[in-house]
Amino acid sequence: MEFAMNVILSSVRMATPLIFLALAELYSQRAGLVHIGLEGLAAIGSLSGFLVSLITGSPLLGVAAGAAVGILVNMIYAYATINLCAEQIVYGMAINIFAPALAAFIYRVYFGAGSELVQVGLMNSLASMLGVTPTSFIGKLFLEQTPMVYLAYALVIFTAIYFNKTKSGLNYKAVGEYPKAAATLGINVVGVKYVACVICGALAGMGGAYLTTCYTTTYTDGNVAGRGFIALAAVIFGRWSAGGVLLACLFFGFCDALQIRLQVSSYGVPYQFFQMIPYIATVVVLAVIGMKKAGPKGVGKPYLREER
Amino acid sequence: MKNSSKLVSFLVPVISILLAFIIGCVIMAILGANPFVALQSLWIGAFGSLRNVGTTLARSTPLIFTGLCACFAYRCGVFNLGGEGQFLMGSIVCCYIATQSGIEGLPAILLCLVAGAVAGGLWALIAGLLKVYRGQNEMIITIMLNYVATLFMGVVYTNWLRDGSVPQTVSVPDSTKLSRLFGLRVTTAFVLALVAGLLVYYFLFYTSKGFQLRAVGLNMTAAQFNGFAVKRYILMSFIVSGAIAGLGGSAELLGTQFRLINGFGSGYGFDGVAMALIGQLHPLATIVVAIFFAALRVGSTTMQAATGVPTSVSDIIQALVIVFTVAGLAMVKLPQFKAFLGRLTDKKQKEAA
Amino acid sequence: MDEFLRMEHVSKRFGDFYANRDINLSIRKGEVHTLLGENGAGKSTLMNVLIGLYQPTEGTIYLNGKAVRIDSPAQAVKLGIGMVHQHFMLVEAMTVFENIILGDRNTKGIFIDKEARKKEILELAERYGLDVELDKPITEIAVGAQQRVEILKALYRGAELLILDEPSAALTDIEVEGLFKIMKKLTEEGKSIIFISHKMREVLRISDRITILRAGEVITTLERSETDGQELANLMIGRELAPSHYGKVEEPGSPVIQLRGVDYHKESKHNGLNGVSLTVGRGEIVGIAGVDGNGQSQLAQVVTGVLTPDAGEVDMKGSKVAQFTPNGFILENVSHIPEDRNKMGLIGNMSVKDNIVLKSTDSPEFSSAKGYHLKKKAIRDYALKMQEKYDIRCTSIEQETRNLSGGNQQKVILARELEGHPDLLVAVHPTRGLDIGATRFVHDTMIEARDKGCGVLLISADFDEILEVSDRIVVMFEGQVMGVFSGKNPPIEEVSLAMAGK
Repeated sequence: MEFAMNVILSSVRMATPLIFLALAELYSQRAGLVHIGLEGLAAIGSLSGFLVSLITGSPLLGVAAGAAVGILVNMIYAYATINLCAEQIVYGMAINIFAPALAAFIYRVYFGAGSELVQVGLMNSLASMLGVTPTSFIGKLFLEQTPMVYLAYALVIFTAIYFNKTKSGLNYKAVGEYPKAAATLGINVVGVKYVACVICGALAGMGGAYLTTCYTTTYTDGNVAGRGFIALAAVIFGRWSAGGVLLACLFFGFCDALQIRLQVSSYGVPYQFFQMIPYIATVVVLAVIGMKKAGPKGVGKPYLREER
Repeated sequence: MKNSSKLVSFLVPVISILLAFIIGCVIMAILGANPFVALQSLWIGAFGSLRNVGTTLARSTPLIFTGLCACFAYRCGVFNLGGEGQFLMGSIVCCYIATQSGIEGLPAILLCLVAGAVAGGLWALIAGLLKVYRGQNEMIITIMLNYVATLFMGVVYTNWLRDGSVPQTVSVPDSTKLSRLFGLRVTTAFVLALVAGLLVYYFLFYTSKGFQLRAVGLNMTAAQFNGFAVKRYILMSFIVSGAIAGLGGSAELLGTQFRLINGFGSGYGFDGVAMALIGQLHPLATIVVAIFFAALRVGSTTMQAATGVPTSVSDIIQALVIVFTVAGLAMVKLPQFKAFLGRLTDKKQKEAA
Repeated sequence: MDEFLRMEHVSKRFGDFYANRDINLSIRKGEVHTLLGENGAGKSTLMNVLIGLYQPTEGTIYLNGKAVRIDSPAQAVKLGIGMVHQHFMLVEAMTVFENIILGDRNTKGIFIDKEARKKEILELAERYGLDVELDKPITEIAVGAQQRVEILKALYRGAELLILDEPSAALTDIEVEGLFKIMKKLTEEGKSIIFISHKMREVLRISDRITILRAGEVITTLERSETDGQELANLMIGRELAPSHYGKVEEPGSPVIQLRGVDYHKESKHNGLNGVSLTVGRGEIVGIAGVDGNGQSQLAQVVTGVLTPDAGEVDMKGSKVAQFTPNGFILENVSHIPEDRNKMGLIGNMSVKDNIVLKSTDSPEFSSAKGYHLKKKAIRDYALKMQEKYDIRCTSIEQETRNLSGGNQQKVILARELEGHPDLLVAVHPTRGLDIGATRFVHDTMIEARDKGCGVLLISADFDEILEVSDRIVVMFEGQVMGVFSGKNPPIEEVSLAMAGK
């Protein structure tokens, strides 16, 4: 029972960065831009969050910095794919190579080579902000979370409402489905795509920053550990809807939480086998849901206005 | 027309490299180093002496393999991002045979290389089968399998083949190591990489199967309508590209590293993707780019010693090259750019007349 | 009658190419004004200028006498210009309702007020006799209904001028009647309509005035009452078109392919086959007539091995086909001119040369050592020969086919598909989007193949084309064969009725 509760509590924590990243992907794909560079955006967001919260002492500012840098770096992707019509997959890959290199470089320059491990304070949970110490499971589940967790769930609800109930959300989706049709109705296709890149960059940066402001106290290269790609799988698994994406992220978060707990209580089994769980789960999930191709139809295709 | 497009596809990476270096120099200057001294030491570190050239070529060897892996797969329209995992699986199997089978010398080397290639090919085939029969996105699958392979290698060097208290495997026997060329760091593995590159080149451009594979990569529907066994080609491209990476893993183990250890092969998969893209999926160009990247890395150590600029500046330059090249290649395909070029040549013709 | 819109000296240039040059056009309130012209005459470009997708290079547009700039589709909508595109601009993943309110700027608020909007839309629909089901997804309604959604979409945005781009191309005769009724109603209410078509019969029936475009320029504007079909056709083409008549074959040779009761997804009316039986003999052209989307694509893919039928038998040269693979049919000497040359026929990023030998690089003519060495010189020489023989106009045989014109792309396919003397040629919309010269070339080539003993299955939505070259005409409707007619003096009335499912 203790074990199960612990797994559930840490599932919520582990799912949070995935929710940010998967929503980033969702906003991008809904505007017709498939983005495989989230891993890179999260890496640079993670470093920015770390540095800023170290310098200012405020993890919240760190998250804001992660978002800002995420947007900045994603503008490169935006310009290349929207204006230059570069292939989205290829350019996402370029971001995956560029952004982590930049993060690693800034870290080296700032701390010098071979320096000792620098640590930052993490964001407080709501409970400690309120000055209470919940003891029950429910209390822990709902109060002992950082503000980022609440923000993640708020964003899921907002996204669900936005895409399903608002006029603007409908227009946004049309851009991802059939940009030419959207254009003939006076929707600013390029504008929506840029907005998508801003949202995507911000959310991906925040997802990365979560790792260094709410999860671990240090920054290490490769700390995103494939979450950018798992988020991509979560969007497919969640069938491009906010609610589905949330469930998918919770599932992958659960796998992650489970492997951590299992590592602790392993009996002679090499811990790496447990660490494989989230990755293998992703492969299995994708293999099981099979090839029902859904998702926005305009994804991956460049949009050129004066095309002949 | 053909020549001008060839010229453009050559110029784009060259200009991208220049731009990346200019930005790199600005960064170095900001960090307080003299960019010219830094570049000079970079050059000396990479190519300053025969010994350094040997080191650069040795460093380029695994990159050539993963670059060719990416190149081969993308030619068939398969976005294999799993070069790293396939590289590792090759090296793991190779490590087992080299250290556990009791065979040594040339037979062991041959067996190791073949087994490494097979292991890489089979590891890639998992993703291939999931793509062909379950319609899955091969990018996500191959990346996930990279992590699994890395962790699996961790099991091998921390547990199964651990060398005493140190988390690394035992070394391969001396007689199973690949021989060095001219007493330099570079080994026969480099020759193997070049041969692999030439074979890939020959296959893609001089055989009927290679021609059909490229057709599948460029337009799968049309290839199907024209009677090609599209699924077979896709599976083949997974297996062959995985085998190339797996071969690279074995060659790296037997030629340079001799044991598996934390960080072995780390990042080579994405490096391979970058090189294949900069080399515009041409196998021979990919080799050149790989040597260039290796030179950057080897030279950056000397540069750090001479100027204090961290070696990771070379990673930044490398990353900028890919960012610029891919954007540049997209830009020259834009109709506006073509019109612009057209106007330029018109002018020249008018001036000439 | 008042004038609603006027274009003066409008030109649109792409690079050095004038898609429209010095266009003068006036549209009155409450009229149906037809734009008549061949493919590539510049109709689409002109309309794209009008709806703000393209910016004119020169010229002025007046609306109700005032000069206006239409710099975006949003602006066009605001000015009351709406267009129904030939390829519908409908988001398939959304419902009819969502498609209609998409991009709406007239209502306030962040959220969609479903009830209020639906009421407005239904009122509009009633007024103009546009029957739609608001909550159905686009994918579940018929083509005619999709078109009504498009019209409603434009009206909902307050369109005063409606541009209908080849609206009847995908419709059955009954649906066309319905469309014409709606058009009448619209003009009675004072709306103007620009009608783009090249179906002479319809143009003569519905138009008030007709403007003829040729090679990007306006030839003339005529009142309907002062002209006839012959004059219009001559003006459109720019010369007297001698009606060419190919000789018709009445006694075909032995059967090349025979279909007996072939089903494929037969519950689907638009993308299935339902008990199709037909025969193509050596040395005859069998034309499949019918409105697009009545199973023709599926028929073509079954007889080329791309699709495997659910039921029924297919005999190839007298023996039953066991396995359906494209390669198996190619080995049986079946050639295919697919309906979408860029998607299915050509590898656009490969050269003319490579596309010509695409199917035959395994043959000893072009490679040795079982395909492990390509004979590059032999391939080159052969491609040069084909370039000459089929009059493929390209900068060199190394030019990528995606940069060729449609006609030259089709010639590359013809060179590849016909040079091996096929037993069966399956040609799907072989002249779609081609100019008259290229069309004539394709027809000549098909007749030539026929005369050499090849069986030809021609699938075309262009009825004139079917009449021109077919020796036998098979009519398809909703996946079924509605009738078989002789190609020599066919009973046109009966054939058209069969095409409408009667």
